[in-house]
Amino acid sequence: MANLKEIRNRITSVKNTRKITSAMSRIAAARLVKAQQAAMGARPYGERLDQVVGSLVASLGSGEGEGDAGEAGAAHPLLLKRSGNGRVVIVHITADRGLAGGFNANLNRAVVGFIRKEREAGNDVVLLTVGKKGRGFFQHSGQKIVRHHDAPTLGDLVVKAKMVAAEIMAMFTGGKEGGDTELPQVDRVYFAYNYFKNVLTQQPKIEVLLPFESREIVNDERVLPVLEPGRDALLGHLLPIAVESRLQQAFFNSIAGEIAARRTAMDSASDNATQLIRELTLFYNRERQAAITKELMEIIGGAEALKG
Amino acid sequence: MAETTIQLDILTPLGPKRHGVVVPGVEVPGLLGELGVLPEHVPFITPVVPGVVRFRDGAESVRIAVGAGFLEVTRDNRVVILVERALEVSEIDAGKAREDLKRVQAELSHDLGSIDAAEHRKLVTEQGWLEAQIRATQP
Repeated sequence: MANLKEIRNRITSVKNTRKITSAMSRIAAARLVKAQQAAMGARPYGERLDQVVGSLVASLGSGEGEGDAGEAGAAHPLLLKRSGNGRVVIVHITADRGLAGGFNANLNRAVVGFIRKEREAGNDVVLLTVGKKGRGFFQHSGQKIVRHHDAPTLGDLVVKAKMVAAEIMAMFTGGKEGGDTELPQVDRVYFAYNYFKNVLTQQPKIEVLLPFESREIVNDERVLPVLEPGRDALLGHLLPIAVESRLQQAFFNSIAGEIAARRTAMDSASDNATQLIRELTLFYNRERQAAITKELMEIIGGAEALKG
Repeated sequence: MAETTIQLDILTPLGPKRHGVVVPGVEVPGLLGELGVLPEHVPFITPVVPGVVRFRDGAESVRIAVGAGFLEVTRDNRVVILVERALEVSEIDAGKAREDLKRVQAELSHDLGSIDAAEHRKLVTEQGWLEAQIRATQP
């Protein structure tokens, strides 16, 4: 049976925890607006870029238009599909900090499943982690991590996307320029991130980054506009930018998602704390009353005995 | 009826820099050299390299430093410039850009061979971007 002091301490401790969780929830709520606006502001750029590059890539497949109508893969090294087994790298984008509900854990689990499948198919898998939580998780399980970056912030996101893009493009093309890198050559690049669907839902997603594929089949009935210089040169210029842009979009989603997940998680933690405090207080009062009654009974009993 | 103005959008990953401004024309640093787009331009797409975008917004002459990206002219007299970054002259710290440029150039000239391909590519883009910023501040 818990004594009164223990219960009192417990209540104080839960109250303190609630102060922390509700502060975190409020901070997240304030930051969420900004992150959400940033993610939304970035979408027009990313979507338009994706559409244009997508329709260029798609037009390669159909073989019409000017330029060298060779194999679809030959137009640019970043489009080259390599068949057979090989090595794949996953850009694993998580947060630096926890206390965000299932945000990091869900993505880690999804990636573990994905790695298992790739291994069964006979591929070697390495990771490039962005965000400390992902690194911590996979270091623990002994997965090979070739590079690590801390989670991006709204301030350094563009630069970080550029850095990661440069690294994976070097890995994919086999580090032709320069050569001696610690980055191994890979045949495919995936990226895993939490898609910010809305404030309540973040969806773990794993998508192909390289070889570059157009997301949706753009059935553009319009003729392609004049391209200057030719299509291949244009692709050479735009593909690296499109790769960067996809990473940027993933970062934006991840940042907004993390904050939203933390807000939701801390909100419900605060609610749970309130509930717990209510129950404990009730229990405390009941115990206190019981103790008083017991003491009274003892006093009365003692007095009666003396009378007798 | 011939149009005399075009609508200009400048989009970046950090949100639109200009949205739907009506301008008489715009000058853009293209891959094949500086190019000007006037109303009734044929629809086309061309890459944009780091440099300075110039146009007149009313009485004001605007200069914006841009990073790499592309330019799209659509059928309905719209020009969309999608670039990875863009800064207006008022947002540029020219002194800092000069210092950074010196540092980047030094790294590029000294460490050739000892830096990996990814690092090299990063430095070269950084150099272009810093030069664009400096050029934007010079009239």
